[in-house]
Amino acid sequence: MSAAPQFDPVTLQVLWSRAISITDEMATTLMQTAFSTVVRDNHDFAVGLYDAEGDLLAQANQSTPGQLYCMQRVMRDLLEAHPAETLAPGDVLIANDPWLGSGHTPDVFIATPTFRGDEIVGFGVTCAHHTDIGGRLAAPDAREVYEEGLILPICKLYERGEPNALLFQLIERNVRIPERIIGDLRAQMAANHFGGERLVAFLDDTGLERLSDLTQAVVAQTEQTMRNAIADLPDGTYTHAVELEEEDAEGARLEIRLTLTVKGDEIDIDYAGTSAQVALPINSVLNMTTAYSVFAIKCALNPHTPNNKGTSAPVRVTAPEGCLLNPVFPVAVMHRTAIVFYCVQAIFEALAAARPDRVMAPCGTYPLWVERFAGKADDGTPYVGAFNAQGGQGARAEKDGVSTTVFPANVASTSIELLEAEAPLLCDHKRLIPDSGGAGRQRGGLGQEVVLRNLAREDALLSLSGGRFHIAAPGMAGGGAGALGRIRIGDAPPEGRRRQVLLATETAASFAYPGGGGHGPAFERDPAKVLADVRLGYVTAERARTDYGVVLTDDATAIDADATARLRAAPPLSPD
Amino acid sequence: MSRRHRYRLGCDIGGTFTDFLLDDPATGGFRVHKVLTTPDDPSAAVDAGIAELEAEIDGGTNLMAATDYLIHGTTLVINAVIQRKGARTAILTTQGFADCLEMRREIRYDIYDIGAVYPTPLIERPYRYEVPERLYADGAVRQALDEDAVRAVFQRMLDDGIESAAVVLLHAYANPAHERRVAEIAAEAAPGIAITLSSDVMPEIKEFERTSTAAVNAYVKPLVARYIARLEERLAARGFRDGLYLMLSSGGVIAPDTARAHPVRLIESGPVGGALAAARLGAMAGDGNVLMFDMGGTTAKSCLIRDGGVPIANTYEVDRVHRFKRGSGTPIGVPTVDVIEIGAGGGSIAAVDGMGLLSVGPESAGADPGPACYGRGGVRPTVTDADLVLGYLDADYFLGGAMRLDTEAARRAITRDLADPLDMPLLDAAWGVHEIVNENMAAAIRMYVTEKGGDLGGAAVVAIGGAGPVHAADFARRLGARRLLVPRGAGVYSALGFLVAPVAFEAARTKLTPLTGADAGEIEVIFETLEAETAQIVENAVPGADIGFSRAADVRYVGQGGTLRIEMPAAATPAAIESAFLAAYSARYGAAYDDMAAQIVTYRVTACAVQEQRDLTLPFAADGGLDAASKGERPAFCPERRRMVPHRVYAMDRLPAGATVAGPAIVEEDSSTLVVGAGAEIRVDGRGWLTVTLADTGAAS
Repeated sequence: MSAAPQFDPVTLQVLWSRAISITDEMATTLMQTAFSTVVRDNHDFAVGLYDAEGDLLAQANQSTPGQLYCMQRVMRDLLEAHPAETLAPGDVLIANDPWLGSGHTPDVFIATPTFRGDEIVGFGVTCAHHTDIGGRLAAPDAREVYEEGLILPICKLYERGEPNALLFQLIERNVRIPERIIGDLRAQMAANHFGGERLVAFLDDTGLERLSDLTQAVVAQTEQTMRNAIADLPDGTYTHAVELEEEDAEGARLEIRLTLTVKGDEIDIDYAGTSAQVALPINSVLNMTTAYSVFAIKCALNPHTPNNKGTSAPVRVTAPEGCLLNPVFPVAVMHRTAIVFYCVQAIFEALAAARPDRVMAPCGTYPLWVERFAGKADDGTPYVGAFNAQGGQGARAEKDGVSTTVFPANVASTSIELLEAEAPLLCDHKRLIPDSGGAGRQRGGLGQEVVLRNLAREDALLSLSGGRFHIAAPGMAGGGAGALGRIRIGDAPPEGRRRQVLLATETAASFAYPGGGGHGPAFERDPAKVLADVRLGYVTAERARTDYGVVLTDDATAIDADATARLRAAPPLSPD
Repeated sequence: MSRRHRYRLGCDIGGTFTDFLLDDPATGGFRVHKVLTTPDDPSAAVDAGIAELEAEIDGGTNLMAATDYLIHGTTLVINAVIQRKGARTAILTTQGFADCLEMRREIRYDIYDIGAVYPTPLIERPYRYEVPERLYADGAVRQALDEDAVRAVFQRMLDDGIESAAVVLLHAYANPAHERRVAEIAAEAAPGIAITLSSDVMPEIKEFERTSTAAVNAYVKPLVARYIARLEERLAARGFRDGLYLMLSSGGVIAPDTARAHPVRLIESGPVGGALAAARLGAMAGDGNVLMFDMGGTTAKSCLIRDGGVPIANTYEVDRVHRFKRGSGTPIGVPTVDVIEIGAGGGSIAAVDGMGLLSVGPESAGADPGPACYGRGGVRPTVTDADLVLGYLDADYFLGGAMRLDTEAARRAITRDLADPLDMPLLDAAWGVHEIVNENMAAAIRMYVTEKGGDLGGAAVVAIGGAGPVHAADFARRLGARRLLVPRGAGVYSALGFLVAPVAFEAARTKLTPLTGADAGEIEVIFETLEAETAQIVENAVPGADIGFSRAADVRYVGQGGTLRIEMPAAATPAAIESAFLAAYSARYGAAYDDMAAQIVTYRVTACAVQEQRDLTLPFAADGGLDAASKGERPAFCPERRRMVPHRVYAMDRLPAGATVAGPAIVEEDSSTLVVGAGAEIRVDGRGWLTVTLADTGAAS
């Protein structure tokens, strides 16, 4: 396959960069006009520009991967429900059905057709994670999607420039802080509007009649690089299973089973054998499963090219209907990152057999930790929000893991000062946890500990997330596991595994975020690096000895070379 | 200022060269001089340069005794950060938050790159100390400051050999009392340790950004103090009495005392000159809206000037792991001239990328080994090589003929690395390099303009820097601009900006103020307090000067993330501020809403000494006709016809005032070359610049 003949390699590069720059500008507009911390400060959104046929041309670089992939599918469904020829200037389409979009109700997709004269020339589309969409505030024990807030059928939010009053009333009546939700919907429209203006100028400037030829050329080019990267892998079938600590109704642990087949320039990813869906909000719709599977392949093989459907074309993802990774409506799906991030682990661990240099050890950042909270301040003002913080990433073949940094999603942590300014919560501390990174020739990233306290007289409702409470992030290629995650309410662990709790006044909730796995045998780590880790407090002197076989002098300022050599000569203790 | 100048001297310490610009208002003459920078003691180069300048002028004069205005810019601060050569620095922070600096915002700057690394924290973990104390978000005290613990921490700092400390307590932007008490204790317990308070350097919410800013300030504080002292000593020894000013990143200049207290404000003075010079050129040309476009060897810089004002950003990022990837560096929140830097210059390397497409930069051949045509060992094709092959540069007149270019080497490099693999004719490949680098720059600038809520509208492009005028025409067309302003001395023009920098200082205060039902008196008090603060700093720099103030506020709908900066006159009513906000919001985002409340987030005041403005024109006296300026013809590439066509060539310094030249044409001077295509018209202004009107052909490609 090659670029469509009408674009030479220069013109294609020029037009493509410009299309991407339009989406980056849309993303900026969204962040600047958004009301929720989730969008403006945590960057939980995605932005795309589509041609008139509904095919994605370009996406903003600053987006979160799950939404990025899923938005490619959404446009098709929107146009099936509202064919382009029925749309008029001033129409705005909206959808948030988890099975059409990115797998849970808070992710609301808004699409705005762009007209040049009477003709649709493309669509600006944004997806934003809304602070609240009604229901039981992301209840961690939800069984059905009905508990997870409003599901809006694909419909028009605006028709010929007039707001759909009934829909707005419906939303306002069903969410906790309507002005923030409506404000973010308006921010999405502002971003789309802006993209539309830029798109028309782009067509005027370049003399292009329509975008579809360009889309096809861009997709073909992307697909070819992806195929080339896959072709570099040896053909073969790699199987892998990841045991999850989540349990089914009978108390048996769930499992992801992966069969990854490389054949020529294509990859087939099949999740047959994966556990059946469960009556918990952790199921991942196939869109989301595919999103993170393709993401993992791209990270490992072809990280430096723009993303569009050409990226996923040579990667086929299947999962049996009714399993965790392709669940059937109306099962609950809100916290799908609790499961779907482990697809990335499964794929990286499977690829490690062929290319350990191209993948990272399992992360303490699977699953995503987002603690949602709501309540009333003492002056009666309601508050609702989310607290983001993450554990450590897995180590790479040549580099230590990154501490406390999100992966594979891409959302920023919550500023403590902003949190405290917007809700009657107070953070006692937020600090790295020594020894939490998995030992290895390359050390896993460190996790952190955060303690949040309710200052209000009224109880705060807290929806707990997180994981790795029982199964730590394993090491890779002989590396050790990261530390476990842990949650305490007051002094006690929360009852049950997934739940909402009420946090009484001046009561603290404490969160230990898990560390990432190490890469390579820890006894092969350069002792000087171990000493540096001890000096910086990343590793204790005790664990330097037991995990790394590095003995330090009594004041822990230098390496005892003889003792280290003796210890390292002995076979390392098997990890418990 | 009413003082009568004899000489004014601009002096800018760069990474490689220390540049001098001597301005003699009596004769209207400028003199440019360069010496090699002396990294170990940068004041040595200043001293040496002054000695050389003195000898150059007329031997006997004591230059420094006759100079009463010395504007000094330096890369000392930024280099200390990048090279990690600052002081042994500590942080003193609220118990529980010592890791804030290291944990950053926990987000990735590149979503797919699993090999990414992040900057090493400026201050290591063992030197981040905690003390018991706690404020609520509204500034009320939850836990009193444990003063004994503070004393104990300073004792540990002394034991650890700490020279400088940043004090960053949670919510200190809302109430600085605890931080100020820590400073008092430090003055007794450890008077030798330089202290930086986060509530002084960046009194704004968000602990990581404030910590990062305070850390940078503390890290460079002793270094800057030592440097300024040494410089003052050397200048005094040469007879300089008074009138040293330091260039701030915000485009103002300020007295040494203020610079010593807020060294982070000096972080990046380099790009400021171009922006100030472009604003001044626009003003002289009667045009308040211009886009500065300064393209050099490694990077291009750009700055959108509206209504004559240089834009100020309040966040900036330094020391990026990936120079052009946002989020990969250290954020600082101080007022900075909002100049965008793009990885595109004459040295940018062109290659066929993994997608099979032609791509340019950000990798650069720099000056060493340089472009293939330099013949210094570079073999990979660069933008300069493409410009040479296209006929835009003259192999025999590069840098005024000081350096001969090897056209054959350029052709070979482009053929081998680009034209052959892409199966394209040589000229098409060369033009591809030219237009892709232009598109890269245009894309970055579109984004930059959007972020500032701007619109290029009819802004003229001020083309400066060695490669700026070469690329300006196609670049401008991509942005929809139809007019170029090209000053005489375009290649060195940014240095002139130092001489027009005002003595000015900005201060800001975060205070959420709802506009509906706001107390006009309360707003006025905040502005007046800020005016008093900034006036004192300017008065200190220029005793007795008339001081002007400009007021602005960052306004948003309650709960929104971004803000719009609304400029306002003194004593503007809350209602007037609100309606200005709604108008600005609607203009930018297509609609404004009356069902949402607006609020002021941050108040900003700039105090500026009223000074007379110097014309920024290099003297010229062309009295011949157009023929006298002609250097004949040479073939150069015409993109519309996709082949070489004859271009008339002129010497810029011989073009007579009032003349017009029709494109296709090339205008050369030592430091740069202007290239325009068919349909463009060049007008020669009598005061030393060219105005180019481009053909209305739509963007290229």
